[in-house]
Amino acid sequence: MSLIGALNIGSTALAVSQTQLQTTGNNIANANTPGYTRQVAGQVALPTQQIQPGRFIGTGVDLTGIKRQIDQALESRLRAATSDTAAADNSQQWLGRVESTFNALSGNDLSAQLSTFFNSWSNLANTPQNAGLRQVVLANGGTVAQTFQDLRGQLVNLSGDSTGQLKTLAGQANDLAQRVADLNAQIVVTEGGTGGTAGSLRDARDQALKQLSQLVDVQTIEQPSGAVNVYVGSEPLVSNAQNRGIAVKQGTVNGLAINSVVFKADGGTINITSGQLGSLNTVQKQVGDAVAKLDSQANALIFQLNKIHASGQGLQGAAGFTASNTVTDPTVALNNPKSGLKFSANNGSFVIHVKQTGTGLVTSTLVQVDLNGQPTDTTLNSLKSSLAGINGVNATIANGRLSIAAASPDVQISFSQDSSGALSALGINNFYTGGNARDIAVNQTLAAQPSLLAAAKNGSPGDNQTALAIAALEGQPIASLNGASLKDSYQALVNGIATSTSAAKTNAEAAKSITDTLQAQRDALSGVSIDEEAINLLKQQRAFQGAAKLITAVDEMMKTLLAMA
Amino acid sequence: MALLPVSIARVSDQLRTNLALSSIGKTQADLLTVQNQLSTGKRVNLPSDDPSASAIIQQLQKTLASRDGYAVNLQSATGQLGSVDATLSDLTDVLQQAQTIASANVGSDVTATQRQAAAEVVKSLTSQALSAANKQLNGVYLFGGDRSNTAPFIDSNGRIKYVGSPTVLQNQFDESTLLPFEVNGDKVFGALTTQVAGSVNLAPALSAGTRLVDLGGAVGNCIHPGTIRLGNGTTTADVDLSQAGTVNDVIKSINNAGLPGFTASLGTNGIQLSGAGNLSVNEIGGGTTAVDLGIFTATGAGAGAPINGQSLGAQVTPLTKLADLRNGAGLDPAGITITNGSFVSPLNFSGAQTVEDLLNIVNGSKAGVLARINSTGTGIDIVNPTQGTALSISENGGSTAVQLGVQSFTATTKLSVLNGGQGVRTVPGTDFQITRRNGTVFSVDANGLNTVQEVINAINTADGGAGLTAGFNSNSNGITLTDSTGGAGALSVSPLNASSAAADLGLLIPAVGNTLTGADVNPIQSTGLFANLAKLTAALQGNDQNAITAAAVGLQADHDRVVLARGQAGAQLKGLEARQTQLDGENIATKSLLSNLQDTDYTTAITRFQSLQTSLQANYQLAAKVLHLSLLDFLG
Repeated sequence: MSLIGALNIGSTALAVSQTQLQTTGNNIANANTPGYTRQVAGQVALPTQQIQPGRFIGTGVDLTGIKRQIDQALESRLRAATSDTAAADNSQQWLGRVESTFNALSGNDLSAQLSTFFNSWSNLANTPQNAGLRQVVLANGGTVAQTFQDLRGQLVNLSGDSTGQLKTLAGQANDLAQRVADLNAQIVVTEGGTGGTAGSLRDARDQALKQLSQLVDVQTIEQPSGAVNVYVGSEPLVSNAQNRGIAVKQGTVNGLAINSVVFKADGGTINITSGQLGSLNTVQKQVGDAVAKLDSQANALIFQLNKIHASGQGLQGAAGFTASNTVTDPTVALNNPKSGLKFSANNGSFVIHVKQTGTGLVTSTLVQVDLNGQPTDTTLNSLKSSLAGINGVNATIANGRLSIAAASPDVQISFSQDSSGALSALGINNFYTGGNARDIAVNQTLAAQPSLLAAAKNGSPGDNQTALAIAALEGQPIASLNGASLKDSYQALVNGIATSTSAAKTNAEAAKSITDTLQAQRDALSGVSIDEEAINLLKQQRAFQGAAKLITAVDEMMKTLLAMA
Repeated sequence: MALLPVSIARVSDQLRTNLALSSIGKTQADLLTVQNQLSTGKRVNLPSDDPSASAIIQQLQKTLASRDGYAVNLQSATGQLGSVDATLSDLTDVLQQAQTIASANVGSDVTATQRQAAAEVVKSLTSQALSAANKQLNGVYLFGGDRSNTAPFIDSNGRIKYVGSPTVLQNQFDESTLLPFEVNGDKVFGALTTQVAGSVNLAPALSAGTRLVDLGGAVGNCIHPGTIRLGNGTTTADVDLSQAGTVNDVIKSINNAGLPGFTASLGTNGIQLSGAGNLSVNEIGGGTTAVDLGIFTATGAGAGAPINGQSLGAQVTPLTKLADLRNGAGLDPAGITITNGSFVSPLNFSGAQTVEDLLNIVNGSKAGVLARINSTGTGIDIVNPTQGTALSISENGGSTAVQLGVQSFTATTKLSVLNGGQGVRTVPGTDFQITRRNGTVFSVDANGLNTVQEVINAINTADGGAGLTAGFNSNSNGITLTDSTGGAGALSVSPLNASSAAADLGLLIPAVGNTLTGADVNPIQSTGLFANLAKLTAALQGNDQNAITAAAVGLQADHDRVVLARGQAGAQLKGLEARQTQLDGENIATKSLLSNLQDTDYTTAITRFQSLQTSLQANYQLAAKVLHLSLLDFLG
């Protein structure tokens, strides 16, 4: 045992106290740093020294290392909860935007406008010859068409916005994954197998992983080397220092840009289920579905209404009709997809009436539309020929559009009893033009000449049976909408979005509650308590003071010894 | 406030801060929701606020919107029917005045001059009635039916002609049924009562191309195309006929069903099924297709027994080919002669291909009549829409009128209806005598005879084969007498015992050579309000008391009809008003339900607002206190 030994003990104590003081200082300094993990500088007594047989003496104190106070399992649960919270928040935000697009319950949404539109047909039935009521029907029809277009436009914009966000977030996710890979490399080198000692690097990596988990639901597995492998689903995203990368693949569904997230390195699909990217995927799908449903509703409205309208008559016959839909191949049957018609005609017939304006006498001709899969099936050309063969009727085809015109100014043409749907498929005597929510519009010929609006079914100008039939369309089940009526289908769409939004709200609250709880647990374990650090500080200060006193004492003892010399 | 379900061993500063932040944030969010509920007055602002309630809200809003539509319809209909009621009330007054004038002008104390003056009053009443008949409301002619955009009663050569439509408009006043909101002008004014209804079922032949919509159906209930199940005793096949448009489509679908030995073909008037097996045809899903098609056979009659489909009752439509009429026998193109008042129109049908062509020829002729397919689709009616003219229809040299069943006068016509219902007035004993051209005379007793044919038979019997033949001329609609005695005298008929029978039979007409063609004594007299007013005017002007009385009888019938129509309109109006009241009641119930679902319950909301406010204050105070606590404050 020597004084030098005692001095050494003092020096180890000083060193340890200093380090501990630094650690405490660092803890206090980072008390408010997000993601900071409290560090504890552990100490251990140095091995004893045998000074005499059976007599051992301590040799001082040593640091065991500066450990982060962290629970990896908790971190991993917290990351999963973060993913879910971010996903639910994001869904809530986006679905809320989708929901507000529909403007439901406002009394002014598409559903209310459809009611107003069909009511105006019912009201037209009171006085079919009233020009004012005809204008109202056309104006309300225009509003419905415009609302369909606006709704679709807004949904498409939303889809575009979400695509933009998807791209930005995918870029961020890629950067974060790269950062994790980079930090992996640094941690492996720094720790050199010492395990968990590279505190700030690990904090940085944990923080990067947390941010990444907000975007993508990731699982992590720590390797013995200290590196963390990151998986999305079962696919690795980051292995050691290798980042497979995240990129966006462009795609189109129903004319909507639907983008999916893929691995940058090999283009493989990433199965993201949560996080903001996961929720954006879902939102994009939902918006796409909404657009598709809106399109099929507009399509059903156009087809069903036109089918009734095409067989009706206005206050007067027309000098002629020009089809609004183009046939690409006039030599194939009208129900052949090659004909290029948006709506399919079926086997049946219609009646064309030629009215002598002078005498008021009407000559009717039955026009067969044979579409039963035979070579003799009706084509646009054959339809034109059979129409052209009728006295008083001229039929021509220009640019794939059929024109039916009165052969002289003394006759007027009208149609009835179209069981084939050929007239509405070709777009003759239609109320609406177009084929989906994007291009639905009121037939401009009617808008210019409201007297051609068909309210009659039996040819009498004062008849209202077509108006009644169209008014009744409001509640009729439509096969193409899975047997739902137009409005029920629209309300199902709105309610579907509402239920999703409401579920997202509930999810967001639940996920936040879980995250809060986990975060509280983490804060309890890894967070800095200033009070605690203040006490540590006192303790370490006293230890330092003690060690310094020891050294002073030893020093005096040495002086005394030296004075003896 | 997020509760922490775990025991916390150690409280870090971050934990305290986060906790304070999160509870303040949550309380503020809740407060905002309540604030929004209070400021908008609505509990459910967006469907996602309460998806299940909002689904019902949307349904209720839809119901209310439909009812808004019904309310407008009700308003319009009650306005129209109210107007009809007022008009019919005016019309009743007019008719009563006319009747009063008629009864006041019967009797010996009234002079011809006074009657002349009364005639002028009746004329003015006529024009009042006409203006009532052409009454408009908001551009709608009340009695025009579905042709209400033009005046329904027009002046045609001094007579009133109905050009309106007996089809009245209907509309929806509640979820379920269509109700008429117009009054049939024909019914009120008797405008189309004068008609020759086709007495023959024209039964068009069934052809492959016949549309199913043009068939009356085997049981007279139209065809409802659906799915049927065919069986051949061993296997079955289902055939979906919902897309079938024509009879041929049905036959093809059955033949393409892929059931071995099951063949469908076109029978005379129905569908013929044949095959080797035990054939059966059954309905599927509660449809009536097989029954409608007349081929329903629950179990077959045995192997190889064919199913002879019942007649499908093809109906007459404007598109029906004339050649298909009468089970394919076609129609004689010779045509008919229509005499309406003074207009005689011989109409030839040789240019007509379809029923519509035929109708166009009749309706486009100067006869001024309206030919139309009857409501059951079995024949053609010829209507005289002009009030006050007599209509008769005879052959135009062929047999078309017989084939159509539209002769106004035939050998089978009852004597009692002749001369406008006056009948044939006979006396006891012989009624008239006929002088043959050879100078011989025989007499005829018309007592107890019922039909024109019986008169013809009686004449021929009385002649006893002495050279005179009586018959019926369907071209001129009269009894003809043909003399074959070869004498040089004149063939003539003269009354006996002061009987009017010969005159009533139209036989007091000079013969031409060997033939005496009797007059048409059964023109269809036009009835109706305007006809009777015209009759009254003419009778007053002509100082004819009998005619005045006859006109008064007609006017009484018109009066009764108007009163009846007014009663019906009143009942309709009452019904609609009741519907309006009911609608208002339903609206109140629906709106209150809607309010329960959608509107903010202020008591709850305000209570919640208060409690959240208190909670927020507590949070603030707590945060301020706790975050201030620090050991450092106590360290020297």
